[in-house]
Amino acid sequence: MNVQLPGAHRYIGERTPRKEDARLLTGRGQFADDVRLAGMLHIAFARSPVARGTITAIDSAAAREVPGVHAIYTQADFSGVALNVMNFFFGPCEAPVTILADGRVSCVGDPVAMVIADSRAIAEDAAALIEIEIDEEDPVITLADARGGAPVHPGKDDNIAQEMGDEDIDEDLQALLDGAAHTITRTIHHQRIAQSPMETRGCVATCDGSEEMTIWISCQSPHLVARYVSLAFNLPETAIRVIAKDVGGGFGLKNFPWREEVAVIAAARLFGRPIKWIEDRFESLTASSHAREQEVTLTIGFDADGKMVGGFGDYSSNNGAFPMGEDCNVAVHMFMWPAYKMPAYGFVSRGWYSNTMGLGGYRGPWAMESLIRETLLDDAAREIGIDPIEIRRKNLIYLTDQPNTTTFGIEVTDITPGECFDKLLANFDVPAFRKEQAESREQGRYLGLGLAAYVEPTAAAGQMAPMTGELATIRIEPTGKVTASLSTHSQGHGTATTMAQVIAERLGVNFEDVTIFEGDSAIGGFSPGAAGSRQAVIAGGAAWTATDMLADKVKEIAAHLYNANAETITIEGGMVHIEGTPEMSHSLREIAEIAYGEPARLPGNTGAGLEAQFRYQPPPFTFTSAAHACVVEVDADTGFVKIQRWISSEDCGTVINPGVVEGQIAGGLAQAIGQVLLEDMPYDARGNPLAATFKDYLMPTISDVPDFEYVHANTPSQTIGGMRGVGEGGAIIGPPTLVNAIADALQPFGQIDLLELPLTPSRILDIVESRDVSGDAAKRAKTEAEAPAEEATAEVASSSGETSIDGAWNMTMKTPAGPQEMVGHFATDGGNVTGKFTSDQGDQEFEGTVEGSRVKFNLDVEQPMKITLKYDLLFEGDGVSGKAKMGMFGSAKTSGTRA
Amino acid sequence: MKPAPFDYVAPTSIDEALSALADAGGGATILAGGQTLMPLLNLRMSQPFIIIDINRIAELKGVTRASGGTRVGPVTRQADALADATLAQHVPVMVEALSHVGHYQTRNRGTVGGSVSLGEPAAEMPATAVALGATIEIRSSKGTRQVPADEFYLGPYMTVLEPDELVTGIIYPDWADGHVTLFREVAQRPGDFALVGMVGALELSGGTVSRSGIAWLGMGPTPIKARQAEAALLGKSLDAIDPLAIAELAVADTAPFDDHHASSEYRRTVGRRIFTRTLREALGLKEAA
Amino acid sequence: MSDHRIELTVNGRKHGGTVEARTSLGEFLREQLGYTGTHLACEHGVCGACTVSVDGAVARSCLMLAVQADGSEVTTVEGLAEADGTLHPVQQAMRDNFGLQCGFCTPGIVITLASLTGEGKEPTEQEMIDAMSGHICRCTGYQGIRRAIRQLTSETA
Ligand code: FES
Ligand code: FES
Repeated sequence: MNVQLPGAHRYIGERTPRKEDARLLTGRGQFADDVRLAGMLHIAFARSPVARGTITAIDSAAAREVPGVHAIYTQADFSGVALNVMNFFFGPCEAPVTILADGRVSCVGDPVAMVIADSRAIAEDAAALIEIEIDEEDPVITLADARGGAPVHPGKDDNIAQEMGDEDIDEDLQALLDGAAHTITRTIHHQRIAQSPMETRGCVATCDGSEEMTIWISCQSPHLVARYVSLAFNLPETAIRVIAKDVGGGFGLKNFPWREEVAVIAAARLFGRPIKWIEDRFESLTASSHAREQEVTLTIGFDADGKMVGGFGDYSSNNGAFPMGEDCNVAVHMFMWPAYKMPAYGFVSRGWYSNTMGLGGYRGPWAMESLIRETLLDDAAREIGIDPIEIRRKNLIYLTDQPNTTTFGIEVTDITPGECFDKLLANFDVPAFRKEQAESREQGRYLGLGLAAYVEPTAAAGQMAPMTGELATIRIEPTGKVTASLSTHSQGHGTATTMAQVIAERLGVNFEDVTIFEGDSAIGGFSPGAAGSRQAVIAGGAAWTATDMLADKVKEIAAHLYNANAETITIEGGMVHIEGTPEMSHSLREIAEIAYGEPARLPGNTGAGLEAQFRYQPPPFTFTSAAHACVVEVDADTGFVKIQRWISSEDCGTVINPGVVEGQIAGGLAQAIGQVLLEDMPYDARGNPLAATFKDYLMPTISDVPDFEYVHANTPSQTIGGMRGVGEGGAIIGPPTLVNAIADALQPFGQIDLLELPLTPSRILDIVESRDVSGDAAKRAKTEAEAPAEEATAEVASSSGETSIDGAWNMTMKTPAGPQEMVGHFATDGGNVTGKFTSDQGDQEFEGTVEGSRVKFNLDVEQPMKITLKYDLLFEGDGVSGKAKMGMFGSAKTSGTRA
Repeated sequence: MKPAPFDYVAPTSIDEALSALADAGGGATILAGGQTLMPLLNLRMSQPFIIIDINRIAELKGVTRASGGTRVGPVTRQADALADATLAQHVPVMVEALSHVGHYQTRNRGTVGGSVSLGEPAAEMPATAVALGATIEIRSSKGTRQVPADEFYLGPYMTVLEPDELVTGIIYPDWADGHVTLFREVAQRPGDFALVGMVGALELSGGTVSRSGIAWLGMGPTPIKARQAEAALLGKSLDAIDPLAIAELAVADTAPFDDHHASSEYRRTVGRRIFTRTLREALGLKEAA
Repeated sequence: MSDHRIELTVNGRKHGGTVEARTSLGEFLREQLGYTGTHLACEHGVCGACTVSVDGAVARSCLMLAVQADGSEVTTVEGLAEADGTLHPVQQAMRDNFGLQCGFCTPGIVITLASLTGEGKEPTEQEMIDAMSGHICRCTGYQGIRRAIRQLTSETA
């Protein structure tokens, strides 16, 4: 036999070329727009040209006359379809969302009507003829507008879509800040981003009889789409098949189907023919969900040495009218500090509605945390008079500092931000750079070095409905080849390659002999796909264990068949070897043929076939750490930034394929560069999006992105296989690294006191020239002069007024999950209080203290998670108000009246 | 993003094209390279009844020497013009500017005439034509007229072209052998329209400036001729030129706008700077102490 | 609205069809001829995904009417690999260097680089990078494309 034994061939860690590429490089990919079905019709939407108003008439008579038009639907046509548009968590949207505008328009681009026609061109012809009359109202566009403006959604009190935390700094924290040797406050205004995957959204839906439906959709997980559609339409999921073989990038935008995709599916059901909608780029830029548009102000107190003593963050995001999930992005605060030693932190976080396109997901959704923290640290270092390296070394977490628990209660045991930072500096000669920088400045050339470090929570599982484990089903086919059905999905992630690497290595077969099937809800099992840097970790772990199970079965069978001890059997290069008897090698095919065809020859308790299946549920979070450095040159004449060098030092645990890992980092960094220097989706005062084409929305091109250098510090995680997620890191750490480099370069001219992104050449000249070149300062002055006064918020203060506390009170607690109604029973006895809350969740008893009319007590709850609520209530007359601190989730306002 | 319906004709001679234009009574649009028009059609920002494709008219293509100048047929592809020896010799600054027009892929179809006649104020070809004192030859079924480039542009994408007229040639006057060329633009990415830029030519005789032609791109609703600067340079000896003062005069003729890419003040500030630097470098002047 | 009969050669095979005047070459290739490898990612001439070669010169197929391609020889991404499946050197270089992730931008990039490195041409790295400025890739940060370009430069040098 002439079998080549590759030895213990390693695939994990190899730069293995991708399996996917063969089809994608030759034009044989299958994207949503490549799907053609008999009788398929096309859709165009007629959208609102104004940002806010009431629809008084929709006249589609002329549009119906266009030859080739089959139907025109408005929301009224869907009134008979019980449809529940949900958020990512399969929960209800706070402001109910209809697929088409229901009587009101709330942003420019709001879909009002849909045309079904023979071709997209005809559908557009007709859509252009639909006359929409709108009684226009003044829109609420900016965060400043939203704070004081009329509620976007009728019936709501204000524009707060969600709120967490507490705007009052607690006394202990205030004392820490007051006692700090240095207190630094910084503010960032982050622009709105259009996610802009190169493949826009798109969907083809067909009803196959009354009980089956097939959907091809550009998405991030066909399983999640199937589940979503099933729940949204209240259909049995088994009837729904979702296929997404190739998807041209998602980045969070395609986490789940949104209004238009759901409308297409609804239309296919209503009209009864296959329907296709492919979003065009104009729609993609102006009417796909956007991202970012946030403001944050962070204050940090430092001791004389530069160690942090406490901090407070105030964050807002402009959610738009119909966000894909009302969000105040508490994750910004949650993940602000795990990489650092921060003893005390308070925050308030608010998401605001406005008459702009709603926000959706985008790579590193909480990335603002690293941007504000890392830029503030650099400013603090300058103010305290220490090096930015030193301030980080004083405050970063190293392995020796762990286990450590953050103020948010997040425990870290194996993160390496400090180690990544040191490794980074070992690969970059900072003193040599500082020398070059000083010399260049003499010649009027302005170089800057930016450093930043962070940790990123990846592979979340088990805490939010869609964030689950992953399933791997692996077979050795009767041919001896290996196929795997996985719950994964790739929008460029290369899972068909990385998972094959894991399987080939663990099983001992050639990479070429492993085929991965994914991208179809009929294959694998539920998973949210590519969302939250999770697939390498979770699906990798699933494939790892399923393969090991399969290998064990092969060994057991071989031991039985060939009369050997299972311990002495190895599988290599697709051959089963028995130790010490090289002539006794058998191919997997030989064993597989027996396993499938002659199961009677198998050992007693082994079933027929060669298959194994494993669903891996990893720990709730797996952290990835990194530190980056970049060098820029700023042209002080033009305000242009040239990135000269960029080094990434990251720890993503076991690396399955460095080519794929580096690709993920690089893609995120390119998006970061776009965010800092180029991309911007501004709105004018009437709510018109101003970057409707790629001529105005500036995507980074090859000349904007330098060659990146990588240092891998691989500390295996505690998951099966030891992987850590790496999908979002570049987008998180890239912005502060670059901003810090630019700020460093600009030091001879001054500070960036208020960071407004993107840092356009005009804004850079603001610093260089110390004057308002960009016109931003004038704009801000104008906004401030016009801003309506903010509502005063109720404060909890001690009151000496005598109030009887004893008795029953009807109370409401405003939690992130919605208002919670309960009846509070209080009985005081001197300085003590006992009592209970009664609600539909049952009774909960408490004991606490009374001081005047102020009552404080703690309550341990189990649902929705284990948490201690710390109540602080003030009774006045027949009213009670105050709050309950909910650990990492901030505070919930609590109020009530005497029952 | 599909165009509204239109008819299409592809005449093979200028006369045919002119009669098609006349017949259309204002509802026609000329399609040359299409690199600007096609996006406008796809976005339905332009909705002509008929497209007259002039790509099959051989007499509209190519570069020839004309009396006292170089004549460029409007359908000459930008890529061909870039590689053209006659242009390199006689209109070098235009070739330099051309290398900044669009991208490799768009220059293969984009034409010189298309760019000149569309009148994007931040584009290189209109400003170059204005700076060099080019003449735009325009024909309709009623006759031919010659319009100096600096009278051709009325506003963004607006020119003196009547609906029945066709640009049939752009004639760049000769500048003396060895004339000084000026070109610099600041654009966010390669191939983007300039945030601000300048282009021009100077003739020197006996150490003094004997002829000057300079224009701005991206500094107003049209390409802007820097008249005051041109006049101030004329007759000046090299050692008497104060580049910054000339640049100030040049900026004084502009009317830049604000958009989210750059403020008007940025355009003025950087315009002044690139003008100064370009003049200084081109004339070999020393930096002021 | 006018319809036009056109004949053209795509990847060496003759094709004909009747097109509406407003149909772009890219749409015609995809919808009527089934060459779905050509991707329309912006339809306004910026992204480069739709780039094909027309009579030996690369062009944006979203910025050309199908009727204008009458009589032309068009090459799309489907026409680069050899009949036996051997990848074109540009495709191979992209694969060797992780030059693609989602692959949506890839067809246009491959066509541009194939045209630059065609027979007898020896483009410099910078020339290829300059030409790449006419393509947008959202996934890769262009790292693998740069490496592919370097590999191609050393192959043609
Ligand atoms: S689709 Fe043609 S350039 Fe983008
Ligand atoms: S590989 Fe996805 S856009 Fe380039």
